Amino acid sequence: MTAAVAALAVITIAIKGAGSLLERIPDEVARRLAGLAPALLAALVYVELADNDNGLPHADAKAAGVGAAVVLAAVKAPFAICVIGGAVVAAGLRAAGVS
Amino acid sequence: MIPVVAAVSIFGVSYGVLATAAGMPAWLTVVMSATVFAGSSQFAAVSILASGGSPAAAVLSGALLNSRYLATGTAVARVLPGGRVKRFLLAQLVVDESYVLAVNAGTPEAPDAKTLITSGAALWTGWLAGSAIGALLGPVLGDPDKLGLDAAFPALFVALLWPMLDRRPAIRAALAGLAAAAVLLPFTSPGVALAGAAVAGLAVMRK
Repeated sequence: MTAAVAALAVITIAIKGAGSLLERIPDEVARRLAGLAPALLAALVYVELADNDNGLPHADAKAAGVGAAVVLAAVKAPFAICVIGGAVVAAGLRAAGVS
Repeated sequence: MIPVVAAVSIFGVSYGVLATAAGMPAWLTVVMSATVFAGSSQFAAVSILASGGSPAAAVLSGALLNSRYLATGTAVARVLPGGRVKRFLLAQLVVDESYVLAVNAGTPEAPDAKTLITSGAALWTGWLAGSAIGALLGPVLGDPDKLGLDAAFPALFVALLWPMLDRRPAIRAALAGLAAAAVLLPFTSPGVALAGAAVAGLAVMRK
């Protein structure tokens, strides 16, 4: 376990550092890089909601919490309210017996 | 920035709780946060180790999850100050949240370096402190799912993503990333699905 953490740390430090050492990049590349953050954030939400076994999303307390976060974000609620709202909805549903 | 740091600190607590619950020693949990400093890859690696996966699979998944930071690092390279060593070190402060804050403070083509460095340092401190608290609280706190901490993570990503969706190319990239993840995840690891989403996001950004 210690070796795995050490390996991941070294690789991650190398990845982050290597990116920064590249000199000026062309505008075309910079424009494409602008697509990274939205693509990854959307994918991270999906990965978080997907079942570990089959990779498909399913309706549960966690998904309801994320749904609440989407609604809160859509009505321009403050950032922390979106996050806390999502957690509270998930916790509340679980307390009520929803898995 | 403060709400983001607060949210990441809370996730640090949930990471500390989850990692120690999965059998990771408290000291290693904290050292991992200090050195890897990439929440999603830490969660992924810990969950693989916890479910009996090989250390190699945990490292590979974590590394693929972090492969996006090569591109993110390049995206911030031209705004980071100083020589190679200084930029190499400052680039360690790049995480999804600090990158997004820097893009929001500047532009996607030229993220704001000061925001990146300030928020990155604050996020690292919060993530580390949260992890330490979580590692200590772990045995006391009980089930993090009961507190909805697991839902707070995707809720954070939603809250970060939403303000970006005011431009058509960003919406296209988000949909491409979502589609890539949905197609890949049933067949691959989360790390591969996220790398695929990164490629999809790059691919759809035309003129």
